[in-house]
Amino acid sequence: MRMLRNNTVKENITGYLFILPQMIVFLAFLVYPILEGMRLSLYRINYQNEKFVGLDNYMTLFHDPVFFKALFNTVIFVIFIVILTVGFALFVASAVFDKNAKYVSFIRGSYYIPVMVSMVVMSMVWSFLLNPANGLISFLARDSGLGNINLLGNTKTVLPIIIFVTFATNVGQAIILYIAAMIGVPKDLFEAAEIDGANRWQVIRKILIPSVQPSTVYITIINIIAVLKIFVVIQLLTGGGPNNSSVTLMYYLYNNAFKYNQLGTASAVGVIMFIITLLLSVPQLRTMLKAK
Amino acid sequence: MKRKRLISMVAVLALTMSVLSACGSKDNASSGNESTSSGDKVDITVWLTPQWKGVLNASEQGADYDSFFKKAAEKFTAQYTKYKTNVKVEVIAADQRDQLLNVNLSGGTPPDVFFESIFPMGDYVHRGALVPLDDIVDDKSKTDIAKSYWDAATFGDKVYFYPFQHNPGTLVYNADMFKAAGLEKYLGGANEIKTWTWAEYQEILDGLKNKLPKDKYPNAYPMALYGVNNQGDTWNLAYLRTFGNKFFDDKGNIILDDANGVKAASWLKKLYDGGYTNPGAESVSSNDANAMFQNQQLGISFTNPVLFTNSKVNMDKGTSPKFDMRLANIPSESGDPLAFTYVVGASVFQSKDPKKVEVAKDFVKFFSSDPELVKSSKNGIPVRSSVVDALKGENPLFAAYDADAKYMFNFTGNVPGYSQLREVLYPELQALYTGAKTPEQVVKDYQTNGNKVIEDNKKNSVIFNP
Repeated sequence: MRMLRNNTVKENITGYLFILPQMIVFLAFLVYPILEGMRLSLYRINYQNEKFVGLDNYMTLFHDPVFFKALFNTVIFVIFIVILTVGFALFVASAVFDKNAKYVSFIRGSYYIPVMVSMVVMSMVWSFLLNPANGLISFLARDSGLGNINLLGNTKTVLPIIIFVTFATNVGQAIILYIAAMIGVPKDLFEAAEIDGANRWQVIRKILIPSVQPSTVYITIINIIAVLKIFVVIQLLTGGGPNNSSVTLMYYLYNNAFKYNQLGTASAVGVIMFIITLLLSVPQLRTMLKAK
Repeated sequence: MKRKRLISMVAVLALTMSVLSACGSKDNASSGNESTSSGDKVDITVWLTPQWKGVLNASEQGADYDSFFKKAAEKFTAQYTKYKTNVKVEVIAADQRDQLLNVNLSGGTPPDVFFESIFPMGDYVHRGALVPLDDIVDDKSKTDIAKSYWDAATFGDKVYFYPFQHNPGTLVYNADMFKAAGLEKYLGGANEIKTWTWAEYQEILDGLKNKLPKDKYPNAYPMALYGVNNQGDTWNLAYLRTFGNKFFDDKGNIILDDANGVKAASWLKKLYDGGYTNPGAESVSSNDANAMFQNQQLGISFTNPVLFTNSKVNMDKGTSPKFDMRLANIPSESGDPLAFTYVVGASVFQSKDPKKVEVAKDFVKFFSSDPELVKSSKNGIPVRSSVVDALKGENPLFAAYDADAKYMFNFTGNVPGYSQLREVLYPELQALYTGAKTPEQVVKDYQTNGNKVIEDNKKNSVIFNP
């Protein structure tokens, strides 16, 4: 038995050695920071020393209404942006995937341009457009007699605006993935459906959507993770305002870490975000692995 | 087969070793840079946020933000005999200051000298990251620099910053717009900082709102109001004092929640709702407001000497519309203007290397008191009376700023956690402007949240817990 195990180890050692450099990088730059973040979340840190405070940082969070506001906003962003992205990308992809190749390329290109432009640039452009004093949108509204409108300064409109801006910037990626997946669906399925007299809607519902399910899972996961970390748009468009109504977990973390110098509290937010991401990803990963 | 495996194992090991050794050599390189005080050679690093370009002024050849400190370092090392030294100068973006300092403090590599406005640096005193400078302040400097500037630099009973220049905050107004609205009688002189009474200020706002010719100034508003973030919040703090609220009590707690505080918040809300300010104050930044003023969309805005000079330069260059721009004080109900200033000066970080701290202190003393170098403080307003006297003829506004000194209030109160306190104010102002909270609620919540921040930070302050 021992001999057998020794042999297996010997057999596999080359493989392990080959993945060793990658594992070292993985452990040093991913696993270690995560563990260190968990440790820091239990300490109060200032320049001169670190003091173990148990779960005090978490208690601070749970007594801070801004943290719950941030959590709520993040959940809203995740739900709406992911649903919009998946729904709209499915709609566009299923409408164009079987059309002329040049037309498909054009559609793909036009939706992908915003993805290539940096999020910072996109946010700046939107902030110019939406500026209440001299932005184009506010100017047009004033000109057409709607009076002064300030979409970013209104607690009712600020979330939909951020959802729209983020969705418009991200959706290109999902469209590309869906079109690629749909082009790969075997043609005989469509032919069989045609013979059976299925209409376009039935083809989409019964053939296309089930066939591209792995892509849907993948797009959903990466979008959830991306939106959980939403930061640049908030920083550049609203700064979390008005009155914290657009603050997100990542922005809250940044404020604690770099503006208030509360590294312990910031780490606690990081740990909570890590757990949320993990919980959201596990069931989806399981379905993906099962499907394989 | 065996040989093949041996080769591949050697290859993998070599690869791993090379990765590890690369990390190792990088470490050596960086630690070589950090631990520089070996033997008699002491290297120090100076960080500064952009203040002024050139040694004396921006018209010099190759003038940049680090020119002054490079010149000062050259002069310092040439005459310094205690150690052989090298001074490295780095300019950092003001909005990345805290991020860079926090990361470097955690990593044990803070700069040795930091040159910046004192108000955002006070937190580092409370955190024990800066060393006192009392031993490098001599009697001559103590008398040459007025007490109010030393007060701003003093935490507990020790001096932590060496004042160099200051940037008083005032209002700026478009005199052409005033004339167009028939408000000539309220104009001050070109080299004057005009003080309006409370009633006059309201008349001016009314005049700008109702009598400004719309064809000449379309889409223009009387006064700047902003609150999207903490930038330019000192003017907002000043507005909250307009009805005489003292803001901090003797123990450094906020006392805004009284009749005068509520009155001030209601006044701001009334101005905003009445269309006396730019729209959307809750999502406009001070930068936006400044740009609007330069585009003649605002009659009255905020400024300091650096901003004022930059605006003039932009007008001369033709990058912004040219108009007659003049200064005014922030009015108050009592008639006494509300004046504040950003004292700019150097501080020395506790690097835990006594030689570095010694050289850093010597360098700070040198450039803050050298008769030639202190003349560069004219790019703001000099804190030294001797420099003001010598350069009065060159800049007539120096005397006007000097006259305001008696009205100065210390807007930070030197309280611990001031940076965090700033983050509490603008969400409340946003709630005020959007109508989410009443003025009474706003001042109450600001006081509660602000005092909590101060209380929390007191626990970690080395000034309060020596």
